[in-house]
Amino acid sequence: MDDIRSSLDNMVDHFNDSITHSAPKKLLFNRLSISLSDDSASLPKKRRVEQESPNCSLNSTTDSTNNSASDSNGTWKMNKLRAELIETKARLSQVQDQLKQNETKRRMELSLAESKVSALKSQCDFTSQKLLDLTKDIENKRGLENSYKEEARRAKAELAGLKLKYDETVNKLKNEKSQQEQDARDVQLCINNELGDYRRQAQRAELELQSTLKELECIRQRHDEYKARMSGYEELRANFEKQQQSLKVADERIKELEFEIQSYTDWKQVTKVSQERLASIPEMDSELQRLRVHNKQLNKIIGDKLLLEEQVHEYKARLDKEEGSRAEAAALQVKLSHTERELKEWVKVAQDHCLANTLVSPVTLRSRIEQLLQGDIVHVSEKYASESESKQMRNLVRDLEQKIRVYLKNIEDLNMSLKRHKNFKDRLQRKLRTVSRERDFYKQMVDNFDKDLTMSNASVAEMTQDMQVRYRVDVLERTLTGYKDLCTTLDREIQAMREQEQLSDPSSEDYENVKKELDTLRLENDRLRRRKEEQELEIMQRCLRQDIGPPISKVVHLVDNPAAEAYESSKNMLEKLQAEIERLKRHNKKLEDANEQHLNETTTSTGGMTMNFKELNKLRAELESANAKLGKTKEHFMAARKEFRDVVYMLLGYRIDRVGYKSNYRVTSMYAESPDDYFSIALSESNDLALLETPYSETLQPALDQQLAANNSFPPFFSSLTLDLFQRATVTMT
Amino acid sequence: MSSAQATKNCITLKGSAQIIVEYLKYGIHSILFQRGIYPAENFDSTQQYGLTILMSKDPKITTFLQNVLSQTEEWLSKNMINKISMVITNAHSKEVLECWDFKMQAENGDNQAADPSQRTSSKDQTRIQNEIRDVMRQISATVSYLPLLDCICTFDVMIHTLDNTELPAKWDETGAIVIQNAQAVQLRSFSTGLHKVETVVNYKMST
Repeated sequence: MDDIRSSLDNMVDHFNDSITHSAPKKLLFNRLSISLSDDSASLPKKRRVEQESPNCSLNSTTDSTNNSASDSNGTWKMNKLRAELIETKARLSQVQDQLKQNETKRRMELSLAESKVSALKSQCDFTSQKLLDLTKDIENKRGLENSYKEEARRAKAELAGLKLKYDETVNKLKNEKSQQEQDARDVQLCINNELGDYRRQAQRAELELQSTLKELECIRQRHDEYKARMSGYEELRANFEKQQQSLKVADERIKELEFEIQSYTDWKQVTKVSQERLASIPEMDSELQRLRVHNKQLNKIIGDKLLLEEQVHEYKARLDKEEGSRAEAAALQVKLSHTERELKEWVKVAQDHCLANTLVSPVTLRSRIEQLLQGDIVHVSEKYASESESKQMRNLVRDLEQKIRVYLKNIEDLNMSLKRHKNFKDRLQRKLRTVSRERDFYKQMVDNFDKDLTMSNASVAEMTQDMQVRYRVDVLERTLTGYKDLCTTLDREIQAMREQEQLSDPSSEDYENVKKELDTLRLENDRLRRRKEEQELEIMQRCLRQDIGPPISKVVHLVDNPAAEAYESSKNMLEKLQAEIERLKRHNKKLEDANEQHLNETTTSTGGMTMNFKELNKLRAELESANAKLGKTKEHFMAARKEFRDVVYMLLGYRIDRVGYKSNYRVTSMYAESPDDYFSIALSESNDLALLETPYSETLQPALDQQLAANNSFPPFFSSLTLDLFQRATVTMT
Repeated sequence: MSSAQATKNCITLKGSAQIIVEYLKYGIHSILFQRGIYPAENFDSTQQYGLTILMSKDPKITTFLQNVLSQTEEWLSKNMINKISMVITNAHSKEVLECWDFKMQAENGDNQAADPSQRTSSKDQTRIQNEIRDVMRQISATVSYLPLLDCICTFDVMIHTLDNTELPAKWDETGAIVIQNAQAVQLRSFSTGLHKVETVVNYKMST
């Protein structure tokens, strides 16, 4: 740093020196001027001279010219010098200008250099400080480097130690490895040995396996044999079972036969007995006749007995009747005596009631009673009449009472009105009185005024002022008292009026009005009451619903309630369904479009569905006609078949019926003795006819042997049989 | 139930609330079954109040009722409930078809203590149960005259509380329900001595 500073100082000094070098230049210039001072000393003088006396010079020139001849050399020199002088002067001015410019340049450079210097100085300070810091850092770093170097050395030493260790371990491991390799070789050898053993064993096992396989094959063969034997055995068993079953069947058959034999023996016994009985038939006939006679007798006896029983019954009934009549007779006798007594009493009554001199008889009694009854009737009618009359009277009385009440009310009303009128009259009289008093009073007043007037007119002069005044005061006092009286009377009247008003009853018209009003009010009241009840009921209902008057409460519910969930799900479902509908609509439209296209195609090609329908109907009709045809042909066929069969039967004498599903034929002869006499013939697959055994064929065994076995042909057999049967039939006929 | 009965055989306010909540549980399940709101195969029969009552097996319904009724019990034990409504609505149109109102009225009990939580009732529990049983019978008998619900229906339970009640989480305020052309039928009421419960069914008159 110091070096830099010193170098910088040197530089600055050098610069200053360079600047100061200009001074010697100047000086040099001065010196030049000084060197020229010989001239300059003369020069200004010369110039002055030139300036002062140009004419002189001219004169001198002229002189020179004049004196040219003499010193032309001198003048030329002079001119030359002068020219040089002028030249130098110009050069001087030029140099001076240059000098000035250099001065200004130098100054500017100086200021620039100064500023540069200051900047460089500050930079230098900064850099020197930085340098110091850096040197410090370098020192620190050096310290650190030393420590790191030491650490490195230590680490190297450790590394060397560790290397040694690891070398040792590597050696150890190598040794171990070699040992293990040796072991491995040993093991491999062992394994190889073992492998050889195993191979040998495997070979042995293979051999064994082959032998066992052979054995197995042998066993299989044996097994097959056994199977075959088994099947044979099973067949045998099945046969055995079949035989057993047949045995059982045979046993059963034997048993049945035994039963039949037994029954046959029984039957034999029975037949014996019956034969015996048959032998005893005539005896039995005779006994039968005897018994019939006996029976007839018994019948007769029974008839007699029945007759007797009837008679007994009749008698019993008669007896009962008799007893009843006897009891009745006794009762009648008792009644008779009773009635006789009653009659006597009646007679007594009649005697009592009839007139004394008349004969006592029922007729008179009746007439008497009739009279009395008539009297009664008359009385009753009278009574009813009187009752009705009394009722009428009562009604009348009631009416009258009502009328009386009405009248009384009227009277009361009238009395009241009379009273009111009286009161009114009184009031009027009083009013009249007051009015008359007022009149009197007004008269008096008028008189007073008249007197006043007369006084003012006539006796003013006579009366003094005081007198006049007194008199007037008196008069006015009197009028005042009159007024007071009037007032009191009016007050009294008012009071009376008020009392009267209070006392006065409403008049009849008012009463009616009031009554009407009362009735209307009552009606209104009833109506309102009913309305009130209705309203109460409604209020009850509303109370139950509690929708009158908002209660001071708020309604809360759980947010995730089933209702909200249901709404949500229904909404979702609706949306889903709508989407589905949209989808299906689109699908439908697509299908419709496709269908339309298809339709267009079909209509253009075949004429559409209508053609199909027509075709269908046509086919149906064809089918129906074909079915009908088929039915007809069937009928024809059946008829033809029947005819053919009949013809064959009549011509050849045999009816041939097909029986069952297989080709079995039943052959019945025209001349057969019974419908059970038939042959059954089967047609085998190879179109051979075979006669099957029937009860009828068994009876014709010799013929069969003769005809069929010998000729092996059916027609001759049947024809011979027909002949035979025909002959037999004709024989029996004859 | 055990806590409802104190040593001296008296019912506290909490016990009363428990009894009512139990009645509400069985009542609502019974209504759900009787009105055919959910299919009958989703119900199991249990014995309660000496009656056979069918209870829904649907876990959604049971958890919902559990939540609602536990909150109801809490409010009832503070006498903050005026009315509990079980509303049956049409699931598609949201129209209210039926409303079962259970009106709660606080009663003084035996000792008219100023603090309602100290009040007790000595009403016999078997008597209360008999009263409840009568109401339950009436509920099952209402099927004979209530109109047939021939659409998919759902239900909600609304609680009419006091105005100053603070709502717990998941609870929301809703408007009062209105049934067009309604008819109301009051069933029997029962009382625990501390609460009186009236049961009213409002239903839409079939046109």
